[in-house]
Amino acid sequence: MKKIRPMAAVILAITLFASLSGCGASDGKTHLTFQIWDVAQRDGMQAICDAYTAQHPDVVIEVQVTSWSEYWTKLEAAAESNTMPDLFWMHTNQILYYSDFGKLADLTDLYNGEDPNYYTEHFSEISLDNARGNNGRLYGVPKDKDNICLVYNKEMFDAAGVAYPDESWTWDDLTAASAQIHSATGKYGYMAYADEQLGYWNFVYQAGGCILTEDKTQGGFDQQATKDAMKFYIDLQKNDWCPDQAYFAETSPGTAFFSEVGAMFLEGNWNLMAEMKDYPNMQGKWDVAVLPKCPTPVSGDGRATISNGLCYSTSATGKHLELTKDILKYFGSEEAQRIQGEYGAAIPAYNGLEESWISAFDQFEAKLNLDIVIDQFDYCVQNVNNTSRPKWKAPVNDELIKIYSGQVDFDTGLANIQSIINNASAASSN
Amino acid sequence: MKGKMKLSVAARREENWGWIMVAPTIIGLVILNIWPFLQTLYASFCEHLGFGFYKFVGFQNYINMFQDPEFWKATWNTIYFCILTVPVGIFLSLLVAILLNAKVKGKGFFRSVFFLPMVCAPAAITMVWRWIFNSEYGILNQMFGAHINWITDSKVVMVTCAVVAIWSAIGYDAVLLLAGLQNISKSYYEAAEIDGAGKITQFFHITLPMVSPTLFVVLIMRLMSSMKVYDLIYMMVEDTNPALSSVQSLMYLFYRESFVAGSRGYGSAIVIWTVLLIGIVTVIQFVGQKKWVNYEV
Repeated sequence: MKKIRPMAAVILAITLFASLSGCGASDGKTHLTFQIWDVAQRDGMQAICDAYTAQHPDVVIEVQVTSWSEYWTKLEAAAESNTMPDLFWMHTNQILYYSDFGKLADLTDLYNGEDPNYYTEHFSEISLDNARGNNGRLYGVPKDKDNICLVYNKEMFDAAGVAYPDESWTWDDLTAASAQIHSATGKYGYMAYADEQLGYWNFVYQAGGCILTEDKTQGGFDQQATKDAMKFYIDLQKNDWCPDQAYFAETSPGTAFFSEVGAMFLEGNWNLMAEMKDYPNMQGKWDVAVLPKCPTPVSGDGRATISNGLCYSTSATGKHLELTKDILKYFGSEEAQRIQGEYGAAIPAYNGLEESWISAFDQFEAKLNLDIVIDQFDYCVQNVNNTSRPKWKAPVNDELIKIYSGQVDFDTGLANIQSIINNASAASSN
Repeated sequence: MKGKMKLSVAARREENWGWIMVAPTIIGLVILNIWPFLQTLYASFCEHLGFGFYKFVGFQNYINMFQDPEFWKATWNTIYFCILTVPVGIFLSLLVAILLNAKVKGKGFFRSVFFLPMVCAPAAITMVWRWIFNSEYGILNQMFGAHINWITDSKVVMVTCAVVAIWSAIGYDAVLLLAGLQNISKSYYEAAEIDGAGKITQFFHITLPMVSPTLFVVLIMRLMSSMKVYDLIYMMVEDTNPALSSVQSLMYLFYRESFVAGSRGYGSAIVIWTVLLIGIVTVIQFVGQKKWVNYEV
């Protein structure tokens, strides 16, 4: 009796191990995973996948959501060990890094069978640029396009007797209105905080400056236009009507706005749907407007808004590469892009489907002036990006915070930012 | 007499079973701890090019590290955090343990209350504390009508983090100390009382020496975990916070270098430095314990 026990233990262990390693699909279907970072878009993505699997019953696609901050840590680890999800979203911040290392499948010839000019016929040049690698090849199918608009509280404008923001607004109107609202209501005016895409980038390009030079090898912080715009933007926090960076470290401008303590902030159009849903009591009290223009631009007409776009990608070494490419082909089709628009989170990258995004807001009684978002695409600037962007993003932000808190003076801080970008860009081009 | 001891067949079989029994732990330790440590050590001499490709650069990471004021600031922040949290934390834990050991009503209830922070998710705890400490809308400033920037003032933020750290650790340390206290035989106290010793004398001459081995273990563990502090500060202080450089610990700096900026070689060098630091502190403690830890029963 006693001798049997160790044997039994060993057998038990072996069966356990076997059953663990045998965990796999046994329904004869191909199971794929689709990794995204925005929980607000889960339903839209699931709907597109369902539309595909309805035509291909032998495929099952599971949409997985990871938070933005964990998404890139996870994806990079997966890329290293060759276990990337079958389908995933790609962001302009990272696409050059991933494509330079050959992690993404080349999708340039995806539609050659149907129409060799498919991409250029249906997607804007900016959308395609957001999906390109350094070598000009496409590593993603354009998913959406976005830009930044000015969100304002109508009640506060009414209370202060200030006209709502419109196309004629310049930076001077922005500051004047903020001051008036603050003195009339005691609320904050325009809430300017240390953010790139939702903050100073827009102002820099409106002034005719740049964050990266045209060839993407150098920073633009040594240019006078950039310096002036940065000075204007950073100094906004010195006004009584704008909270300081310490305040924003605890309370985001969005939270402050929808708690009705501030009158204006810059918002990406992709958040508007969620904000309508999350703050039902605020519906009808706020609206969106075009960004105010720079009154004295060094070049251009003073108008700019940062436009970014995501794309759908797949791994270059995926096990089901042919299948995932076929799915991506569907994701780029008019039908799939329309489904995405109808779910309201993002504007489809596919040209001519902008209305589908606007129509998603028909469910609300309160209306937003969403046409201005579409109009802004006429003068939008591509989201700033180069290969070393993941390397300089955080250090540049740290340096900006130091300028805000007075740890370095403005000129030194900007010079430091310039050298951080230049050094990182030079290192990655070797 | 022979130099080697010969084992009987039965004894040798028993020895083999011993090895088999500890194998799962040993294998786990090697695969999950020792091997990654060696990899980290190697990575600290390399530059990370991307996606797991490394280039050997010798001591370059260490040279950069020792020239970086941010690194020295983080080292000091870590030590400062230990100074703030460890002595106060252990004193309070001992106090709580003694109170919980006394004959009070609802002892079980209080024991669970003090242990609760250990059961809650650290992230959730920190979220709640952040609301409490919010300078504009937080309950703390509202209650006292004060306007202290608990989380964003570079002079205050470390104390704020220390308060939360102490609060979350007291329960766990107190339970360990409580176990130590309960091992002290009642007869010592009875004998002391007959000899006319007061409560305070009893504490210093009986309780403290008798609980000192447990106290030593708690001290070592608390100091180690304080030197590795990361999640608490990460959750309390985001990277848009102007006070970040005043509270950034070594592990936070490591996270930002390795996973935000992608410089894993440099990040690994920071880890090796932290390991050295913890090693030195622990050695000092083991030498020092001979002076105050009592192992005689």
